[in-house]
Amino acid sequence: MSNPWRWARAASLVFGLLLTSGRCPVFATDTLADVQKRGVLLWGADAEGGAPYVFPDPQKPEQLIGFEYELAQALAVKLGVNARMVQNEWDQLIPGLERGNFDIILNGLELTAENRQRIAMSQPYFVYAQQIVTRSETAGLVRLGDLRGRAVGVLSSTVAQRLLERMGGSDLRIYPGNVESLRDLKAKRIDAVLMDLPIATHYARPDPSLRFSGAPFAPGYYGIGVRKEDVTLLAAINQALLELGQNETLERIYRKYGVWDERQEGLKDYRPETVVQRKPISTLREWPKYLPLLLRGAVVTVELSVLAMVLAVIAGLVIVLMRLYAIAPLRWLARAYVEIIRGTPLLIQLFLIYYGLPEIGIRLNPFLAGIVGLGLNYAASESENYRAGIQSIPRGQTEAAQALGMSRWQTLRHIVLPQALRVVIPPVTNDFIAMFKDSSIVSVITMVELTKVYGMLAMSTYDYIGLGLMTAAIYFALSYPASVFADHLERKLNYDPR
Amino acid sequence: MILVENLVKSYHSTRVLHGVDHAQKSGEAVVLIGPSGCGKSTFLRCLNQLEIADAGRISIGGVTILGGRPPRTTAEKEQQRQLRLRAGMVFQSFNLFPHLTVLDNVATGPRIVKGMTAKDAEARARELLAKVGLENKADAYPGQLSGGQQQRVAIARALAMEPEVMLFDEPTSALDPELREEVLRVMRGLVEEGMTMIVVTHEMQFAREVADRVLFFDAGRIAEQGTPDQVFSNPQQERTREFLRRVPTR
Repeated sequence: MSNPWRWARAASLVFGLLLTSGRCPVFATDTLADVQKRGVLLWGADAEGGAPYVFPDPQKPEQLIGFEYELAQALAVKLGVNARMVQNEWDQLIPGLERGNFDIILNGLELTAENRQRIAMSQPYFVYAQQIVTRSETAGLVRLGDLRGRAVGVLSSTVAQRLLERMGGSDLRIYPGNVESLRDLKAKRIDAVLMDLPIATHYARPDPSLRFSGAPFAPGYYGIGVRKEDVTLLAAINQALLELGQNETLERIYRKYGVWDERQEGLKDYRPETVVQRKPISTLREWPKYLPLLLRGAVVTVELSVLAMVLAVIAGLVIVLMRLYAIAPLRWLARAYVEIIRGTPLLIQLFLIYYGLPEIGIRLNPFLAGIVGLGLNYAASESENYRAGIQSIPRGQTEAAQALGMSRWQTLRHIVLPQALRVVIPPVTNDFIAMFKDSSIVSVITMVELTKVYGMLAMSTYDYIGLGLMTAAIYFALSYPASVFADHLERKLNYDPR
Repeated sequence: MILVENLVKSYHSTRVLHGVDHAQKSGEAVVLIGPSGCGKSTFLRCLNQLEIADAGRISIGGVTILGGRPPRTTAEKEQQRQLRLRAGMVFQSFNLFPHLTVLDNVATGPRIVKGMTAKDAEARARELLAKVGLENKADAYPGQLSGGQQQRVAIARALAMEPEVMLFDEPTSALDPELREEVLRVMRGLVEEGMTMIVVTHEMQFAREVADRVLFFDAGRIAEQGTPDQVFSNPQQERTREFLRRVPTR
């Protein structure tokens, strides 16, 4: 291989393969044959807060249980293979399937036109309905319309979310899991939770402080998702489901988990509505429709980042002054704060502030919790920036100030800090820009900021690239002026002729 | 005016000052000479409390401080501040404040420490800059000045506090030879005005010309002292003679 052209051709071939990610039709194989050859059916699901569908057995946490877990086992037996679950974020199951991370989705995936646009779906295996859950003392929220003007929690990208969005008028809070919304309901942060009946049955019914408010409504079906080209696999799954329904295996499994009801009779009556194939949406071409939505998210991102940074810059100063100049116990406290904050994940700190503090009576709304969480986290980092800045000022400066009779505070205020300021501008600016991007983490406490808006829009339009470019452009448009401003400030404070 | 009794100072286990005694009248100019590491700089730094002596007693202009430990109570800190206000310090490396203009370098002390109004402090600062010949550099930053100019600003800065004694810690050692004279000229002017001064230096010519008294420091003690004539022309100690042989005195 001495000819450079052959190298180039080989490289472009490899690169091309990477781009088509192996799902190119040329390489398409029969997934059913694959499954049978390897003897394992990989099914994608989210076991985090996944009861009663699939979840770790509380008695034996290394063992999964749940009605879908048992259904997957039964299904695999019908196909003559073993079942193995692949953990995947629930709202990312469809992209996961498309990437080929698993063979099927079996995890409360609704048989909706939206989903069937994108992937193929089996015959239904379960009939669910929506249930309003409230605190036991709340009255009057019995129908969907009653939720107007109320703060309502839903699981991200569920039918419940879509129902409320379509209705409008409610203060919608979107949660990454099922447990968190009920927690906030009990903490009185929200008025109601709208969720699939099986979830409500498992998590809310046993809790005396919560109640089912009104009858279940808006029934729908769960189906198994497969990739569109896996026609033989879909046929085999449909056959297996039919047999599992006829020999009452489904009923036995559902009864075991308390989710069997008369609605399940409706499984037989399922007639798929014809899916009108929509053309793929180009959000770039239709930017006037999507950009304002993203910008509204960007406003939240900016508010959150700026306020959190103000907190971080001030709290960081207090911390560094304590660490360098206070009496011993305060010095240790400041040191411990910095070490603990930077040694633990921001995500866990946010969870503790948002879901943990209410236990001791401190109830912050998501916006405030986000500011406090990000701000206190970055305060540790800012205090270290300041410390580096302060310690870079030569000792002679302090001595000269002391020789003039300045007190320690006067020396700090008039001599050391003004000089340190110039040194710390670049690292603090860097943190500020990082904050813009890090602030997307607050979506875990139901804040809808730029990245979350992107995720929600991408989920419904499937245009990850167009929206991604727009979102990235907005982030850049936010952070670049911050860099320019910092440069300007640095130059303005420059007293060094070199 | 200045009375120092039995000043002792150690760094870790190394003793740098072995009980130094010193008395100085108002208006007297004293020059400290001696080999490097002999303790003369430490002695100076103890006088204005940049170093805390382990034992002994320092008295300047009626303010007395005992060695032993850094001040803790408010009263002790005030006492330390009073002592510092009476002693102006000029450093080998100038230590001007790089973020302030020349004018502010001189005016900041009186304004912040003595509570002088900005207007008065600036007027006074301009007078002092004129005195050291830098009135046209008031708005420059220290980084734009030569070393000799910087040291003259540093002298003006110390004078602005109206100290009773000026302490100079090797004020010309960091300067190129051709820049030393402008600093020495300012210092000679101060001597002529009758300023009480203690100067640590290697400028033997300067010592010979202006000192009322020369102290020869060796190994943490004052080994010999007297008029410049006595010390330079007729040293009594072998150590002094040896030191003077090694440094140019003219």
